[in-house]
Amino acid sequence: MTVHNMRHGDASDGGADAIGGRLSRVDGPAKITGSAKYAVEQQLEGLAYAVLVESTVASGKVRRIDTAEAEAAPGVLKVLTPDTIISLRTASDWFGTPPPDKPYCPLARDITFSGQHVAAVVAETFEQAVAAAALVKVSYDETPSIVDLSDSKAGDGIPIDAMTKEWGDAQAAFASAPVRICAAYNTPREYQAPMEPHGLIAHWEGDKLTVWEPSQWLDGMARTYAEWFDVPFENVRLVSPYIGGGFGSKALALSHGAVAASAARMLGRPVRLVMTRPQTFTGYGGRAATRQTVTIGADGEGIIQSIVHRGINETSMDGMWVEPLGSVTSIMYATPNFSSKQNVVRVNSVVPGAMRAPGENPSAFGIESTIDELAYEVGIDPLEIRLRNYAEQDPHAKKAWSTRQLREAFAVGAERFGWARRTPEPRSMRDGNQLIGWGVAAGTYPVRRAYGEAIVRILADGSVEVESSSIDMGQGTYTILAQTAAETVGVPADNVVVKLGDSRFPRAGVAGGSRLAGVMTGAVYKAATSALDQLVGLAISDPRSPFHALQANTLVVANGRISSPRGDGPDLSIAKLLTSVGRDHIEATGDTMPANSTAQDRYKNYTTIAMALPHTEGDYSRHSWCAHFIEVRVDEDFGTVRVSRVVSALDSGRLYNPKLAESQWKGGIIMGIGQALLEEGIVDRRHGRIVNNNLADYLVPTNADIPDIEVISVGIPDLHSSVLGGKGVGELAIVGVAPAIANAVFHATGKRVRDLPITLEKLI
Amino acid sequence: MTKTTIPVHLDINGDRHTLQLEPRVTLLDALRDRLGLTGTKKGCDHGQCGACTVHVDGERVLACLTLAAQAEGRTVTTIEGLAREGELHPVQAAFLEQDAFQCGYCTPGQIMSAVACIREGHAGSDEEIREYMAGNLCRCGAYPHIVAAVRQAALEVQS
Repeated sequence: MTVHNMRHGDASDGGADAIGGRLSRVDGPAKITGSAKYAVEQQLEGLAYAVLVESTVASGKVRRIDTAEAEAAPGVLKVLTPDTIISLRTASDWFGTPPPDKPYCPLARDITFSGQHVAAVVAETFEQAVAAAALVKVSYDETPSIVDLSDSKAGDGIPIDAMTKEWGDAQAAFASAPVRICAAYNTPREYQAPMEPHGLIAHWEGDKLTVWEPSQWLDGMARTYAEWFDVPFENVRLVSPYIGGGFGSKALALSHGAVAASAARMLGRPVRLVMTRPQTFTGYGGRAATRQTVTIGADGEGIIQSIVHRGINETSMDGMWVEPLGSVTSIMYATPNFSSKQNVVRVNSVVPGAMRAPGENPSAFGIESTIDELAYEVGIDPLEIRLRNYAEQDPHAKKAWSTRQLREAFAVGAERFGWARRTPEPRSMRDGNQLIGWGVAAGTYPVRRAYGEAIVRILADGSVEVESSSIDMGQGTYTILAQTAAETVGVPADNVVVKLGDSRFPRAGVAGGSRLAGVMTGAVYKAATSALDQLVGLAISDPRSPFHALQANTLVVANGRISSPRGDGPDLSIAKLLTSVGRDHIEATGDTMPANSTAQDRYKNYTTIAMALPHTEGDYSRHSWCAHFIEVRVDEDFGTVRVSRVVSALDSGRLYNPKLAESQWKGGIIMGIGQALLEEGIVDRRHGRIVNNNLADYLVPTNADIPDIEVISVGIPDLHSSVLGGKGVGELAIVGVAPAIANAVFHATGKRVRDLPITLEKLI
Repeated sequence: MTKTTIPVHLDINGDRHTLQLEPRVTLLDALRDRLGLTGTKKGCDHGQCGACTVHVDGERVLACLTLAAQAEGRTVTTIEGLAREGELHPVQAAFLEQDAFQCGYCTPGQIMSAVACIREGHAGSDEEIREYMAGNLCRCGAYPHIVAAVRQAALEVQS
């Protein structure tokens, strides 16, 4: 499939081919014409369709599953239950921790949350499978459940010592501070809700398994499938050419995948299983609900003397998810005394998971709201108080920032927004019956670094091919890798074909934590440099080369042509040169692994997250930064909140493609608007079900909710963070949006909402 | 066993298809699973997200809430039928130029809605575009760029 070299005549592409250019998405033509085949859209001979049956209670045991009626229904091939599904082995976790030697069953007998998979029906058609799944009768011995954090049985939870961060004497400094702020902030369960539901096609050929599945991490998921089914890693092929959004939710192989692959193995046929939209609310975890208390002790000038932070997040009964709530609290502002501790509380829920900026996002809601409260308490402008407490180095790691353009972000954002025209008093700005509020908040996300591999080939026709098992879920990987190869080899980007999303390609780690672009541009840069060196070497030294007689030290490759830098000698296309030296291609593999890495190191690097480099490794602390300036309009009578204006200035270092980075930033801001005003998983108190488990009731922003958004890049290249100078883009921009809106709502109304989302009943 | 399927004749993007379908098969599943026309996406299967938007007799319709049999004798246009002889529709070209998508999964539905929105005369202002495109969810958050693309395409279509 080479859809990505289709020419589209987009005028905005002029001069955009290089790294840093505004090249339009190279996978765009396939996506706008409907020819892009997403994972579960593969057409396979003999495909059977599986549908899941899920628990309707939150806690208890499955007493009986009556499958007789379902088995007799038209078209049904098999009904899988815990008793009939094949036995699998437990797989290791994402750190690669060796698993306990016990069987794994993806269909549950012991129920720990509503919506747990208990059975599956496989039929000849999707319609038959849906109809038969409704005929499976499951009875339970129900036991009392803890439905969420507000449940009286929930308790204080388990201390997570690894989350403790302390320096100075925070309690004493707080007690003696002239100004003291103490407030509690809550965030609800939130859901990634990618537009493409989770699902897969599993197909066995002997002991070899092919899985077409939307995936943020092909090699990690392939490892899990291999371990479940006890086959060699090489026997599992993951294919994920396009991913319809992930936001953290598509990084791991999940139990529905084990069900589908088991069904395929049992039937000897390819099986497709796609979750229904309601199932996506319990088939994997969204963002955990969180509770934080933040106390700040300061002097009368608003200079912080102490921060004491306590947080909890929910996790499941049998899984562990820690949402690091002190991550922003501990680095945003300079403070001589600090204490942060965190517990997790078990509730009857699916284990929560990663959702855009896990940790940083709720952490910023706490600290960036509290500092706003401090600003009003001491009568200092909310922007000014942030500058007074500016952290000149990482207050926790005690290391220099690699780059921190946050002061610039505040300055540029304030200027563009017109912050100087803000009147400080709450309820002091209005337009008719609309109260207007202006709020500011900062955001940050650490630079997570790992390693990647890529192959770059220069083909006989002079075109360039890039292969990597990394993925593109909309971040622009296809495009920025085409730009990297184009600039490095010296060909137009139109002549580069990037192939991603197949675990047979050179390996890559997870597309998560905003790390993929920095990792993969580095790997492609290395591979492309090596391919170029080979090409130039051949041109200079091969006796058949037209350049041989020139005895040049080097040659220039630009726009697909090779010439001498002195301007003398031949000037010919790459294709002609390859023909003259009798080569049909040049190939180079590049990776960013340390030179002495073993095969085992590589396997561990690409299939676990154990090898990721800490963002404070060495002499520097590496983070992206941003400042959001947001205007809200609150209807004085009805309490409805509308975001009417957003200006955000962001430091993601060097941008590989500003056009695409701006899109991702805006997307993060929009998801942040949803978080602030709309999004909340509502739990039924009897059975622990998610009541609003669909896209009409779990409200995500619509087009009509979103104003114009201005994003401004204030980043500078940061070579401590990546080979080419970029820092993370994808997760940064959501961080700080919710507190900026909450701060704006306070400015508009005089009401401080510390419990997301900010819905109208909290304002009237 | 009683016969459970019926013949359904569909006119899709100018091609005639005859399918033997159970009456409960939706237009969306007929397109995706029987005809391999997977450009039309399934996001919710409940008419909540707009990813499955197609045109039936020129009007935007949610294919997940339409039975295939209901399209009998009517003209269906999907995203695959929008470009003519390799020439992108102005809305498609504007989506690419304005970067009005990221993951691309809502995009076919957005584009089909946008074409209809312009045809309906509801692309007169940014506010109107936002309102009449509000039935198509985009979780990547491409909305400002979608508005820009619809605005741009509306000018081109009208001129």
